[in-house]
Amino acid sequence: MQKKVLSEQALYFGNVSMPKHWEIDRTELTHHILHSSLTNEKLQFSKTFDKLNTYMRDYIGLEYNINLVNKSTWGNIYKPNETTIPLLNIDPVDLRNSPDFTMIYGVEVKDCNIRIHYEDNRRKGRSWDIELKNNMFIMFPSTNMYYITNNQKDSLNFVQTITYEYI
Amino acid sequence: MAHFAKISENKEVLQVLTLDNKDMLNADGVEDETVGQQYLETHNNWPAQMWIQTSFNTSGGQHNNGGTPFRGNYAGMGYTWDEDDQIFWPKKTYASWVKHIESVSWKSPIGDAPALTAEQENQNKTPEGTDAEGKPLNATHGWHYIWNETNTTWDLTDSKA
Repeated sequence: MQKKVLSEQALYFGNVSMPKHWEIDRTELTHHILHSSLTNEKLQFSKTFDKLNTYMRDYIGLEYNINLVNKSTWGNIYKPNETTIPLLNIDPVDLRNSPDFTMIYGVEVKDCNIRIHYEDNRRKGRSWDIELKNNMFIMFPSTNMYYITNNQKDSLNFVQTITYEYI
Repeated sequence: MAHFAKISENKEVLQVLTLDNKDMLNADGVEDETVGQQYLETHNNWPAQMWIQTSFNTSGGQHNNGGTPFRGNYAGMGYTWDEDDQIFWPKKTYASWVKHIESVSWKSPIGDAPALTAEQENQNKTPEGTDAEGKPLNATHGWHYIWNETNTTWDLTDSKA
């Protein structure tokens, strides 16, 4: 008896473990997200962003042999008790130009929950919840719809999203 | 062109980048690894000491063009940097295998596979001539040793059996 896996939906998550004294400057990313939100401009490129992005590409490549290429990036601020609308980063009528993976990074978060929806063959409408913490990333297929919830009432949550395709 | 391996804190090679030789010249105009490391730290956002120079022409402890081998092997993604022995090691073939510094390769804990006997060598050879239908003759056996990780032994196998 043999088995062949035709497709898989994998989620990758963990902390961004940079070398000592080379940690991601999350305060700088917070400023950039805030600036981008206030001015409605694209997120500023910075060395800090490059560190995060390169870390993801290097380690996903090393651990899982997936070569990621950047598609897009943006930052979001979530208000206390806010739950987003369903988020989906692919364009169903333009899958060719849609990303393969969505990576969410906790820049400055507290009680931040991510709910990722998926289908398990005939078992539709399933979901998986994970708490996003500071300096933590979650990467999943962009075809999965997700929600981000700020579960507390005191502070804003800053989240950076990067989308990738793989080659 | 010089080549530098970017290594993780676990000494695993994340990627290998090329660097223009002029970007690693010191004040005396001599190529200096530390200058290259500093350049890469500045331009590639990764600590200088975690960029290790590697030789494109070195593999298995030999230099392909007859030059001086440098650090055992040309680094590749997933290789491990051994600071003590100054060698880039490829991934282990089997969990039980051990480093063999002289040949810069992984060897089984009981050494290389035994040599085939003269009879086995002969049986592996393709005989000259053709069969009754005019087709070339084939070797009768394909003797070779394969590593048995469970028993940590070399097992003699006939691929034509």
